[in-house]
Amino acid sequence: MSARLLGLALVAAPLGLLAPRAGDGPPAPAGRGFVAVRAGTIHLVEDGRVLSGATILVKDGKIQAVGADVALPPDALVVDYGPDAVIVPGLVAAYSSYALGFPSERTADPTLSALDAFDTYRVNGDALSGGVTSAYLTPADNRLIAGTAAVVKLAGQRDAARVLSAEAALHGAIDASARSTPGYWDPPIPVMVDVELGYARPQLPRTTMGAIVALGELLDLAGDPDDARLVSEYGPRTGLALARALAAKVPLRLAASDAEEIRALLAFAAERRVPLVLDRAEGAGAVADEIAAAGVPVVYRLPWVPNAPAVDRGKEEDARWPTLDVPARLVKAGARVAITGSSPRDLLFAARLASRGGLEPAAALRAITLAPAEILGVAQRVGSLRAGKDADLCVLNGDPLASSTSVLATWVDGEVAWTPDRHAREDARGSRATVIEVEELHVGDGEVLRPGQLLIQDGRIREVGARVSHPRGATVVRGKTCMPGMIDAFGHLGLEGSRKVPGTDFTLATILDPGDALDRRVARQGITTVVLTPRSASDSGAPVAAYKPAARELEHLMVADPAALRLRWDDPVRLRSGQNVRGLLAKARDYRQKWLEYEQAMAKWVPPAEPAAEPEKKEDEKAADAKEGQTSEAKEEKKEESDKKEDKKDEKKDSRSKKKKGEPEELEPDPITGLWQADLPQPEPAAPAKLKLRAKLARAGESAAVEGNLRCDALSATLIEFEGWFDREARTLTLSGVGSRGWVELTGELKEGKLAVKARVDGKEHEATLERTSKEYVVAGRSERGTEKSETPKEPKGKPREPKLDGKLEPLRRAMDGTAALVVEVERARDILDCVAACNEAGIRPVLYGAREAHLVLEQIAGKVAGVLPASTVVVAEAERGTDYRVPYAELQNAGIRVAFPSEAEEGAIDLPLRAAYAVANGMSPEGALRALTADAAAMLAIDGRVGRLAPGLDADVLLLDGPPLDPATSVLRAWVAGEEVEAH
Amino acid sequence: MKRLLAPALLLAALLAAPLPAQQGGRLVIEAGRIVTQAGPDIENGRIVIDGGRITAVGKAEEVEKPWDATVIGGKAFVAFPGFVEAHTSQGMDRANENIDVAPFLDIRDSIDPVAYFFEDCLRQGITTINVQQGANCVVGGRGMVVRPIGMTVEEMAMRPLFGLKLSTRPKGGKSRATQMQALRFAFEDLRLYLEGLVEKERDDAGYAKREALFQGRDLEAEAAQGRAMGGTAWKVDGLELVPRGALDERYAPLLELLEGRYTAFVHCGDPLDVVHALEVVRAQGILARTVLVIEQDCWKAADRIAEAGVPVILEGALLDVQRDPITGEEVETFVPKVLQEKGIRFALSSEDPNTRAPAYQAALAIAHGMERTAALDAVTRVPAEILGLGDEVGSLERGKLGNVLLCSGDPLSVTTWVEHVVIEGRLVYERAKDVRNKHLLEGVQPLGTAPPTSAEAGEDPEHEHEKADEDAGAEKDAGDEQKGKDEDKEKEDGGR
Repeated sequence: MSARLLGLALVAAPLGLLAPRAGDGPPAPAGRGFVAVRAGTIHLVEDGRVLSGATILVKDGKIQAVGADVALPPDALVVDYGPDAVIVPGLVAAYSSYALGFPSERTADPTLSALDAFDTYRVNGDALSGGVTSAYLTPADNRLIAGTAAVVKLAGQRDAARVLSAEAALHGAIDASARSTPGYWDPPIPVMVDVELGYARPQLPRTTMGAIVALGELLDLAGDPDDARLVSEYGPRTGLALARALAAKVPLRLAASDAEEIRALLAFAAERRVPLVLDRAEGAGAVADEIAAAGVPVVYRLPWVPNAPAVDRGKEEDARWPTLDVPARLVKAGARVAITGSSPRDLLFAARLASRGGLEPAAALRAITLAPAEILGVAQRVGSLRAGKDADLCVLNGDPLASSTSVLATWVDGEVAWTPDRHAREDARGSRATVIEVEELHVGDGEVLRPGQLLIQDGRIREVGARVSHPRGATVVRGKTCMPGMIDAFGHLGLEGSRKVPGTDFTLATILDPGDALDRRVARQGITTVVLTPRSASDSGAPVAAYKPAARELEHLMVADPAALRLRWDDPVRLRSGQNVRGLLAKARDYRQKWLEYEQAMAKWVPPAEPAAEPEKKEDEKAADAKEGQTSEAKEEKKEESDKKEDKKDEKKDSRSKKKKGEPEELEPDPITGLWQADLPQPEPAAPAKLKLRAKLARAGESAAVEGNLRCDALSATLIEFEGWFDREARTLTLSGVGSRGWVELTGELKEGKLAVKARVDGKEHEATLERTSKEYVVAGRSERGTEKSETPKEPKGKPREPKLDGKLEPLRRAMDGTAALVVEVERARDILDCVAACNEAGIRPVLYGAREAHLVLEQIAGKVAGVLPASTVVVAEAERGTDYRVPYAELQNAGIRVAFPSEAEEGAIDLPLRAAYAVANGMSPEGALRALTADAAAMLAIDGRVGRLAPGLDADVLLLDGPPLDPATSVLRAWVAGEEVEAH
Repeated sequence: MKRLLAPALLLAALLAAPLPAQQGGRLVIEAGRIVTQAGPDIENGRIVIDGGRITAVGKAEEVEKPWDATVIGGKAFVAFPGFVEAHTSQGMDRANENIDVAPFLDIRDSIDPVAYFFEDCLRQGITTINVQQGANCVVGGRGMVVRPIGMTVEEMAMRPLFGLKLSTRPKGGKSRATQMQALRFAFEDLRLYLEGLVEKERDDAGYAKREALFQGRDLEAEAAQGRAMGGTAWKVDGLELVPRGALDERYAPLLELLEGRYTAFVHCGDPLDVVHALEVVRAQGILARTVLVIEQDCWKAADRIAEAGVPVILEGALLDVQRDPITGEEVETFVPKVLQEKGIRFALSSEDPNTRAPAYQAALAIAHGMERTAALDAVTRVPAEILGLGDEVGSLERGKLGNVLLCSGDPLSVTTWVEHVVIEGRLVYERAKDVRNKHLLEGVQPLGTAPPTSAEAGEDPEHEHEKADEDAGAEKDAGDEQKGKDEDKEKEDGGR
């Protein structure tokens, strides 16, 4: 597993190195080493062989070896597309219009060379995106012999090496397209008294027989280039050029549509002994046997043009309507067939359509790879995967003839010529997508799709269904089962052992960082969301936040903060039980009432027509907006009420920035705090590594202490936590910390807003210049909230006064609105009833935590609580029941009450699936257990708008399993958090 | 095949025509700074022009002023060598014939001496212009190097019958393949024709002679022109038997091209055209006498150009903006920079109407990071060398032609005017007398069209202008006064 993932990481390397730029001459000749390309399935096409888990070894643009047991040289660069990818030879388009130009004035002009018109400086992105690496160049259309065709590679070097065949065929037609050749007229220059203007001489053909006559005369002319009559008929150069081409065994490739035209051509070729290739051949089905007997190969062009209006083909009885079974009939008869579409981009699609008439998939694949290569005479270089041939590969995300398969990468001459990644850089909708196809897709809320598919894009689930759309270039992952990431409904991962008891208004987000190795390990066991709360609570309760420990980016880290308020009902003095909670609820009710009144007043209030706002204030607002913009994404989800809160925050920020302006010694803005990014150059051929440094200035002063962290895969596999200081005088930064490769020392110098750093790891020194991409350290910024006195800006007269924001009551207000949860720790049956009643009175359905005696009051509390987090004892043995064990989880769920699994531990959360499996083993329904770990946990904690199910719009936290979920024998194969795969280290 | 033109024309045309009038007087040009383009600038310098050529350049105190010389200029001016336009297709009624292969054409018959283009050249300070046929051809006719003065083509001509135009960019109605086909056939046809001539000469010299007499050809004159020689890349056996004069006018210029008598100006629109152009000129053995006229896109083939070692003339925009078809990113390339980095000798051209002024182009190149000397060379010395006029124009040196611009400031500054243009010692342009310039700047009605208001006739400054213009030739004082006014106005306006 890890080897495969490493390979995927290395895919980036050839991209960066070998991207064909739009110009700048040929890329530097690569004196590069071995490259090993791997995929789950490799179609060699040669002899119809298909290999599984094989490797293609490439060097100097040629295939060195193909096979499952290829010995890799130690310095080989491994590019692994994974077990679900399929590699076929680079496709060969037997027709293209890249060199298509005006036809000659003559009916036959072999001197018109398609190669002349092929622009090697053009980037043929369209064909490459369709997996096509070689193409036949059509010189012109609509002539008996329009010119000399060539075969070229569509990427790679810009010299003769790219020409596979300069004279692939004499391209022409005898069907209707060739019958509109205008009369030939050579105007004398200048026209004088004794040289008249002359007239246009009609040219053959106008009929099939005329075409055959003209072809015969042309062959005669080739035999005797000086024949005066024929020279005057066909031009002085035609005979010589034809003779030369025929001597070089260049075949005649002639388009014929009807069976009659095909028969005429077959007879002509047999009689005159010229090599013939049938082009277009719409009506070849009826004469398949004759074609096969004559041994004439056919380039079948699909009689349907995608991206074009439909064509009427005639209403008569005998009108020739296209049939797509021609290739199948030809192959059945034993003829050689190549299939082409109207555009190389759609070649794969053309092959799929051609299989309609019963063409075997292997034959269809051959008809767009090896067969055209043989017919065009370039099979010694392209068309199949064999040692010695060019390393032209088409990497697909599924079976080549499956309807939703698309191209993952196109290789030409051992280098990546196209991938969808670069193509997607600007368009967010076209960004790299992942499709997961499984036999069993557990949505999380009890629904199961068999089979099921899932489309992930931009970190969210876009589609769920039996068959979903496959965007071009999507990575396709296939497996047995998938389910939503699991939720630890009450855990401590992220506290790092801390036993501090913070106030209920403490923002837990401030102590959280994007995932380190431990977080990723937990996620790879299936726990993607943790509902975090401190280990112990004060009398007034504790804050609760929901987050994703393994998220790579800060913006995906938090799910909800605060997600809930945690209170304790029980008191050692039983009489005092619940007093605290009741008091808080009463306060919260008043508090909420104030806000409701304020909102009602605001709704009625009409702002007076005020003069233009003071310019200074405007500026401040802008600054605040800019700051707000950075955190806005995380806050988008919040409802209207919280918007009000945001307004309040804005004002605070306003005043803060104002205050800063007032103080002369603080004129210089904080030069260090923020997110710094750069690409760290790596020794070739590896791609530059991303380096992200988050730094925060602890306090101002001459030399200020700095803390922060750094993520850079090239320096350390884990997140490096840094401490150090910033010298304001010298403007230098000195940091040190421990990474996976040992002690990391980082020195930096601030110059013109950029930070030039040197990092010393493991005796090696790395250099990079960092740029600050975000000025405010989003999380760190929050901790300062409320530390400064706010200075209310001037309000217009008559505007309702906003109530004071109370961080301690705010979660309760949100719980009353249903956008947060209230977790109450309560054990005894009597207390449970009291607690539920008190909460319901305040408009809250509480989440009960502990609830040891809940089984006694099941019916009383059903429907009145959001859910229950039972204690960690799954099976309760009670003396009076003998061996009749009780499973509280099952009891509660059977009574219609949601349950979820609390881990009450940090990385111990990985045991939750086992606990669930154990509960199932003791009688809990497997579906219910799955719900408890996913959808029910999310629903009771009011985070079901983000996580908990596999539904469109939700975060893409997905697990791929190798068996039924919660089966003890099942393990998590792969995990995604916010659409990004969690990689193991 | 009929003979089209008298061969005598060829002889006459091969001689460089001298500037017909005003060769006697000596002219002294004084300037606060002389940009010689041949060494360091000279502060407070003096140029002496005698007989159309520069006889001395140096500091004012070191160069003697001939007693009978006319003196122009002054400390306020900057003297600069006249710009050289290496290739243009303007100043003609139409740039191309319809015929694909027309080497027999001579641009002499097409140039319009009173074309506004030449007047504008003076305004921009272009004193040497290579006029060639347009790019809408396969093989075009022969061009000529002219000065932008004179009422007849003969007066303008510096190098008649100079250069032959070819194009690998598909002309209208042709695809790239048919263009290349036609270009190859042009040379193939020539060979077939020459072989036919030799065959005739060998097989039946008597018949050929009789036929020539019947056509009324002057066989003695034909023989007097010597023998046909043929090119270097390929020879026709026995060609030396054919008298040069017996060659048909339709084919003769192409053979002369192969013999190295003309510089080939090959127009390329795309990088692929460059590849094709080099392939053709190599096959015909005229690589050494080839100049590529390239459009901005052609920089992609810079490696090929550098490898071939041919000079180029850059037509079109200096900045090439393209979108990468795979990533969709817009990529900007400053073409002269690429050419310079690859070591290609290049001249800038004023063909693109957006960047007509050579001074503007040079300034743009400097703004994009080119060295000042290299940028200025690209509009003076390099085009002069490309035209084979390296010893005549392109810099202010003793012995070169007296083509001097007197500018009101640094020649590359946008606020600078070309005040005087001297071509071969003759003052041919004074901005103070440039009526069109004045109309453009001041919005004055053209002469005779503005209805004079009789009441204000005395005070109306516009009216005074007109009067001054009318009197300019006769009363120099009035002109000077006017000039002073112009300059004042210019300062107020803050430049062009």
